[in-house]
Amino acid sequence: MNKTLQISFSLKNTYRVNGILFSLKQIPFLKRLLPVTLYKVKGLKSFANVLSVLWEIVSAFLGKYLYFVTMVSGIGSLFKELPQTTVFLHILLLLTVVGSFANTHLFNPTKDKYYAMILMRMDAREYTLVNYCFSMLKVVVGSLPFTILFGRNRGVPWWFCLLLPFCIAGLKLFAAAVTLWDYEQRGFGYNENKLSKYMWGGIALLLAVAYVPPAFGLAVPEIVSMLLFLVCIPLGAIGLIKVLTFRDYYAINKELLAGLTHQTDSTTLTQLAKQVNEKKISTDTSITSDRKGFEYLNELFIKRHQKILWNATKRISYVCAFLVAAVLAGIYLLPEAKSAVNKIVLTWLPYFAFIMYALNRGTNFTQALFMNCDHSLLTYSFYKQPSFILRLFQIRLREIMKINAVPALVIGVGLALILLATGGTDNPLNYVVLIVSILCMSLFFSIHYLTIYYLFQPYNAGTELKSGTYQIVLTITYAVCFALMQLRMPIMIFGVMTIGFCVLYSIAASILVYRLAPKTFRLRS
Amino acid sequence: MKFVLEHLSKSFEKKKVLRDLNFTFEAGKIYGLLGRNGAGKTTLFNCLNRDLKADKGKFYIEAENGVRREVVAADMGYVLSVPTVPEFLTGREFLKFFMDINEMSVKNPKSIDEYFDDMSIEPEDRDKLLKDYSHGMKNKMQMLINIIAQPCILLLDEPLTSLDVVVAEEMKQLLRSLKPDRIIIFSTHILDLALDLCDEIVLLNHGELEVVEKTDLDSREFKDKILAALREDGNE
Repeated sequence: MNKTLQISFSLKNTYRVNGILFSLKQIPFLKRLLPVTLYKVKGLKSFANVLSVLWEIVSAFLGKYLYFVTMVSGIGSLFKELPQTTVFLHILLLLTVVGSFANTHLFNPTKDKYYAMILMRMDAREYTLVNYCFSMLKVVVGSLPFTILFGRNRGVPWWFCLLLPFCIAGLKLFAAAVTLWDYEQRGFGYNENKLSKYMWGGIALLLAVAYVPPAFGLAVPEIVSMLLFLVCIPLGAIGLIKVLTFRDYYAINKELLAGLTHQTDSTTLTQLAKQVNEKKISTDTSITSDRKGFEYLNELFIKRHQKILWNATKRISYVCAFLVAAVLAGIYLLPEAKSAVNKIVLTWLPYFAFIMYALNRGTNFTQALFMNCDHSLLTYSFYKQPSFILRLFQIRLREIMKINAVPALVIGVGLALILLATGGTDNPLNYVVLIVSILCMSLFFSIHYLTIYYLFQPYNAGTELKSGTYQIVLTITYAVCFALMQLRMPIMIFGVMTIGFCVLYSIAASILVYRLAPKTFRLRS
Repeated sequence: MKFVLEHLSKSFEKKKVLRDLNFTFEAGKIYGLLGRNGAGKTTLFNCLNRDLKADKGKFYIEAENGVRREVVAADMGYVLSVPTVPEFLTGREFLKFFMDINEMSVKNPKSIDEYFDDMSIEPEDRDKLLKDYSHGMKNKMQMLINIIAQPCILLLDEPLTSLDVVVAEEMKQLLRSLKPDRIIIFSTHILDLALDLCDEIVLLNHGELEVVEKTDLDSREFKDKILAALREDGNE
């Protein structure tokens, strides 16, 4: 038994460590420094083992601490009308019920289980039981300090604080046993990550019962809560017997882990991604094109990807138009909000950099371009002739600009209208700058995504994402847009800066693409 | 015409896949490229097709009169073992697109249907989206696109492995018919196929290319010689 626990631990460590090393090797620059033999360095593994054990200990306590400090005690302290003990036990009881089926460990499909039982064929029953008992032990040990700390703080008697962790574990055991019974009766495997809508409904209901009635001064009486908790201990004993005597752990895990088979194998995963992308191709046979050459290719591509390109952008535009109308109606109904809204429009322009970031279709466009078009065409040498690459870049840039410009125009004009309706501005130029700068943002994102796609072409022939640099650029883009959200600046200053930046960026990007894309726009190997 | 490789080298981190590779391919022959798994066949093809930049060395085309010129994209056709075709186009559209943009370079173009007839792609399949093509049909499509432009060098990476016997036989006939004035380099793991189809057997061993001379061996002895050479590599 000890051995099983030891093996599961070292297995978990190995894949955690290898996972970390693998991601380190994805970072440009760093990957050149790290040797190929990285994975066999002993010191790293031992160090990781120490970290892992520490993490196992810390996580056992940290998770429970956070749980008690926020969900139980934190929210509980908001309800002043009831005795503290009653509220504490009321919330804890209901959350324990939720946890008993939403956080089982037994029915959580994790990779270590998949590796151990399916790939390495460890004895499923022994592996499951050893790990399950260990996790129950973690629940008891991890909760104990906090049931005492927070329980005593809320006036729960000492002896009951000591018993609470066993009650929590007991209910979990009982829920697990019921699920196992259910499996024997109906052959239906439970997966805590794939809850049915009834389960979600149940969770919502229990959470509502936990938090809503106390606001109105209602809660399960203290004595009833305590009795219910105490019942969990004998229930737990029954559950434990069932868990220990259950035989069919292999079958139950096989079903639980079936979905993971694909996720661990990157080729199947990319094939799945490919299939998903192929589904985006319209099968409408009436779609044709009268154009020639690259315009022909492009038109067919755009028309057959209507669903993810134009339809999406139309939907976004309708929503934006609706929101603008709602704000205008709001101002009409609540004239006193005018000056506040006016101020927001005049100074919150940087915020829209993030909104435009979120709305732009650049990633969808380039992804579909690669998966359904370039992935195959790049294997043909005719397609890689520099003049052809640049010709197609121009056409595609024009398309993505058009697609992104529609919502940008709606938002820009909408904001100008809102500005006008809320009392306007001293400088009429503000209207122009508002519309132009939002359009510029959308142009920027169009150019940006297409440029980095052409310069880094991050995928290999198997459609796996291979470029660390590409991902870093995407992350930086996100971070910058996110940071801009915090910025407040008058329209004129930020708008003019945006327009200037976009013009400079477009020039720089065009030069880079013309110089480099014929060399960089290749399949990665 | 000759296709000359000089001092071609490529390493991945510390692993030297191609070491100072020198070889001359001659027009009118099909070369069978054999090598153990991981010997670097695909790496070599990727370097020649410029999907991968070689660390060192060069390759060029030498005409009959000895004039050297650089290999341009139009000289090279590359057929992959897993056929890749743009899924959102129909067979006819793909062919039309290709013909459109290669108007200048395709000599004596035929009509689209004639090309389909040549490859025995049925009329009812010609207007289907390529994503709904079978493996064999995708393969034919890929081959068709690669040969219309009549590149003088054709690289084939295990192209017949997963085709049914009928299509495979059609492909073999096609390759034989393409042989004149062209260099065909054909990588495969199937020894019999290589012996059946190829004029020269070239081994990729220790990152170098070497021809296995047949001289006066019968096919049994020739096979043993190839196997011995490949085994030797594996024991190191």
